[in-house]
Amino acid sequence: MNYQFKWSVLWSGQSGVWLLQGLITTVEISALAWVLAAALGILSGALRTVPWKPARALATFYVEFFRNVPLLVWMFFWYFGVPPLLPRAVQDWIFNHGAEFWAGTFALGVYHGARMSEVIRSGIQAIPRTQFEASVAMGLTTFQAYRLVIVPIALRLIVPPATSESLNLLKNSSVALTISVAELTFQTRQIETYTAKAIEALTAGTVIYLVLCVGIAAIMARVERRFAIPGLIARGG
Amino acid sequence: MKRMLSVVVAVGLALSLASPAGAQQDTLAKVKDSGVLTIGTRTGSPPFAYINKNNEWVGFSIDLVEMLVKPEVQKAVGKPIKIEKKESTPPTRIPLLSSNAVDLIAGTMTDTPQRREVVDFSLTFFYTGAQFLVKKGSPIKSVNDLAGKRVAAQQGSTNAKILREKYPQAQLREFPDQPAAFQALLQGQVDAYTNDGIQLYGLKAKAPKPDEWDVVGDFYSEEPYGMAMRKGDAKFKAAVDAGLKNGFESGKYFEIYETWFGPKGELPYPMTPQVKAYLLKQIGK
Repeated sequence: MNYQFKWSVLWSGQSGVWLLQGLITTVEISALAWVLAAALGILSGALRTVPWKPARALATFYVEFFRNVPLLVWMFFWYFGVPPLLPRAVQDWIFNHGAEFWAGTFALGVYHGARMSEVIRSGIQAIPRTQFEASVAMGLTTFQAYRLVIVPIALRLIVPPATSESLNLLKNSSVALTISVAELTFQTRQIETYTAKAIEALTAGTVIYLVLCVGIAAIMARVERRFAIPGLIARGG
Repeated sequence: MKRMLSVVVAVGLALSLASPAGAQQDTLAKVKDSGVLTIGTRTGSPPFAYINKNNEWVGFSIDLVEMLVKPEVQKAVGKPIKIEKKESTPPTRIPLLSSNAVDLIAGTMTDTPQRREVVDFSLTFFYTGAQFLVKKGSPIKSVNDLAGKRVAAQQGSTNAKILREKYPQAQLREFPDQPAAFQALLQGQVDAYTNDGIQLYGLKAKAPKPDEWDVVGDFYSEEPYGMAMRKGDAKFKAAVDAGLKNGFESGKYFEIYETWFGPKGELPYPMTPQVKAYLLKQIGK
């Protein structure tokens, strides 16, 4: 096969601008979705361990429902399924104001919140039960015990799996291109459309994702070292 | 550990870059070895290539391959062959071709100068232009009425490119395939859907209530459809072109056209004299 490589397509024309725009959109949607996922994850992860059955049932329902349906389906759900429930005038307004982006953010955030929840729950359950009992014995309410003792410790334990999950979220943001969000993968395809140079465009996208994810992983490795609790995490080589 | 990681990354990158370069060049030899010609085509673009009510993968483009191209390729390789179909969308079709996953793109691909730098095109087998599908009574009548309107297009299509470059006053929304774009039109996420006119007629005919939709506007682009193949494979291109040429000469092409676009066809769309002249001009008539 005589494929002619032409790497200059990546910096000639508008390609560079598109890649940058795509990168910005990817970072924006991922950051917003991450905040949502972290909030939902911490809340539902904690609720799954509290000594009150209805709260546990509600959190379990959320986790199992949202993590066991493909992300692509959630994208379509938030973009095609939710707006018809709103009044026509509201629909028109949101369709003119980035409905695609927000549907993508919700899909990503709610889906990954369910997955994050499991990470948080495993962190909470790694803490000896006596810790909680001691907190309550000190006079804290259940809510105070979670807020001041259990959750802060759990968050420091789960940095490695939470990093993995966050990187997954970032990469999964590419699914939003199915509902017309012009993120990084979308832009690499656009370059391919204009130049018919698929391999160069895909390579550019791959390298950007790789650099972004390796960068985040490196930062999180520092965070992990900084916040490790001596005695609770065995240090390996 | 770090060193091993960088080696793995380097090897991975090298492999991914090297594979297309090391691939087979002669499609006819490949077809002769395997007895199979793999075409990349569409599943949701009636009547060119789509899954019909009986769950069969059929269409005008597929028939052209089966009835006109296949006999020529069989003649060239000297044995009977089978046609295998794979789904290929605008963003995936050129990579599928370059990576040898498919040998021929036969769907709804427009022959453009940029694409010609990367792939070879057969003779043109259909000629259309971009228009808009809108709800009946929509204020959009042509490409000049798009200011502030939300317009859906297919990702990677020539229509999306033209709108972005020449009509930036429209809010462009790009979807990976036709069903998603049409769903967006159906629900009001967008005000119009633009694609090649013939495909919009196909979509309208297949819609739950065809009367609610209108195809509007003059062609704002020219879209000659060709079959695409790997660049520089002259023998294979000669076989594909010979198949189409025979079809034009013997009239077989026009018979196939009638079965899909004739009065009793899947989508009645009479061929204009200009289009017929355009097609025949390719074979010097």
